[in-house]
Amino acid sequence: MNTKNSSNLALISIVSLVFFLAAWEIYCRMGFIEPLFMPAPSKILSRAIKMLNNWSLLGHTLASTRRVMVGFIVSSLVAIPFGIFLGSSRFFMAVFDPFISLLRPLPSMSWIPLSLLWLGITETQKYSIVFMGSFVPSLLYIIEATKNIDPLLIRAARNLGASEVDVMREVILPGALPQIIAGLKVMLGIAWTCVISAELVAAREGLGFMIMNGKEYFQTDTVLLGMVMISVTVMITDLVFRKFEKRLLPWTL
Amino acid sequence: MDTLTNKIKISIQGVTKVFPSKRADVMALKNLSLDVMDGEFVVIVGASGCGKTTLLNLVAGFDSASQGQILLDGQPVIGITPECGMIFQQYALFPWKTVQDNVEFGLKMKRIPKAERQEQAARFIDMVGLKGFEKSFPHHLSGGMKQRVSIARSLANDPKVILLDEPFAALDAMTRQVLQEQLVRIYEKHQKTIIFITHSIDEALLLSTRIVVMTARPGRILQEIVNDLPHPRNADVQLSDRYMELKRMIWVSVQAEVMKSIEEETV
Repeated sequence: MNTKNSSNLALISIVSLVFFLAAWEIYCRMGFIEPLFMPAPSKILSRAIKMLNNWSLLGHTLASTRRVMVGFIVSSLVAIPFGIFLGSSRFFMAVFDPFISLLRPLPSMSWIPLSLLWLGITETQKYSIVFMGSFVPSLLYIIEATKNIDPLLIRAARNLGASEVDVMREVILPGALPQIIAGLKVMLGIAWTCVISAELVAAREGLGFMIMNGKEYFQTDTVLLGMVMISVTVMITDLVFRKFEKRLLPWTL
Repeated sequence: MDTLTNKIKISIQGVTKVFPSKRADVMALKNLSLDVMDGEFVVIVGASGCGKTTLLNLVAGFDSASQGQILLDGQPVIGITPECGMIFQQYALFPWKTVQDNVEFGLKMKRIPKAERQEQAARFIDMVGLKGFEKSFPHHLSGGMKQRVSIARSLANDPKVILLDEPFAALDAMTRQVLQEQLVRIYEKHQKTIIFITHSIDEALLLSTRIVVMTARPGRILQEIVNDLPHPRNADVQLSDRYMELKRMIWVSVQAEVMKSIEEETV
């Protein structure tokens, strides 16, 4: 890629963002809009500074991030081997297909009442919501990736003496990995929506709670700050994920 | 060849293969029998769609015969056997493994320790002239280099028989010639039993100790010719009278089969 060109494009993006924020600030300061409905960016920033000083902003962000990570990692650790197994066995695919089909259309929100009943307002309950929201879609991504492996490679591996288990570990897993990672990246976004919905309903900390709490006290700036923090955190995790991806897939470079 | 023993390595006995299909079952092979001796280099020539690849897949155990059986050292082939190393036209290298790891694959499956594996693989990588490319991934290599990795991978696994399914068909003429010569040298050195499929008569004459011509579908054996051309099979041999004579002989029978299969397609 042309580096000069790409840095020019980045500059354009920054200018565009600054222009938007400036317009928003001016619009608010001119008094065209009630601060309760839409506070100015400067108000959101001063709220952020206030909450950074008493550590609450960091606390909420870390709480949500931890929930997303635990739920997402557990769900991936189960979905990857299970998906590879189902993708390479037509018999077991048929066994589990009805359950997957029944679970697939359920939004993670629909699990909130049951999870509260079973687990109470606990951390485990948050993890379970992230898990239920991301597990089945991850599983479907992985099954699909497994089925897309070139059968010639499986044939070549078997011809070189690989057993069925060897084929799964040596051919199907690495062969499906680029697609699995692409799927998990999408799932990470979904995991965030799960945790926010869980926190909006019942939580004592987290960005979802912060938004809900801000609403209760008519602090629209807190609500918006919570929303901005979700975007920023997802952007950062995506960046970390991308670094990780390059390390895992050296042959795609 | 003087080292050629009279031991039968592969015995294909009355093999018929039918592929069931909704419209009409397709008979790919019909009552085909062929013995391949230990250390022989048999090249099977035939028009496209004559069932050459089907036959090779049966020998490798990728598929099973509808009738008849295939024996390897007197034992029937049931299921995929690493004793018959297959080299595919599309190379079938693992894209996520380096050249080194690709060549080591068969040894790794045999649970051979890492150090020994590395040493063995290095020897075969050197043999196919790819020293210095051990750390490369397949997509950085040219087609000819990929096929050499595939040959090294198969040899490192030390199979009793090597099966090659039109291995050089996707390569340009120059690269093909280099690889053909390399394969002949490897054959002369290792005396492996080889079954090689091609639709090129020149390739068959250059490589084989015996040429088997197959009929149009359903595939049977039309003609067997012992290739008595002297070694080394260089450009001089290709201009000799005997070469022309053999080529003409094979071409006449192959041509008739090609016409048949073309007519069948247009019907």
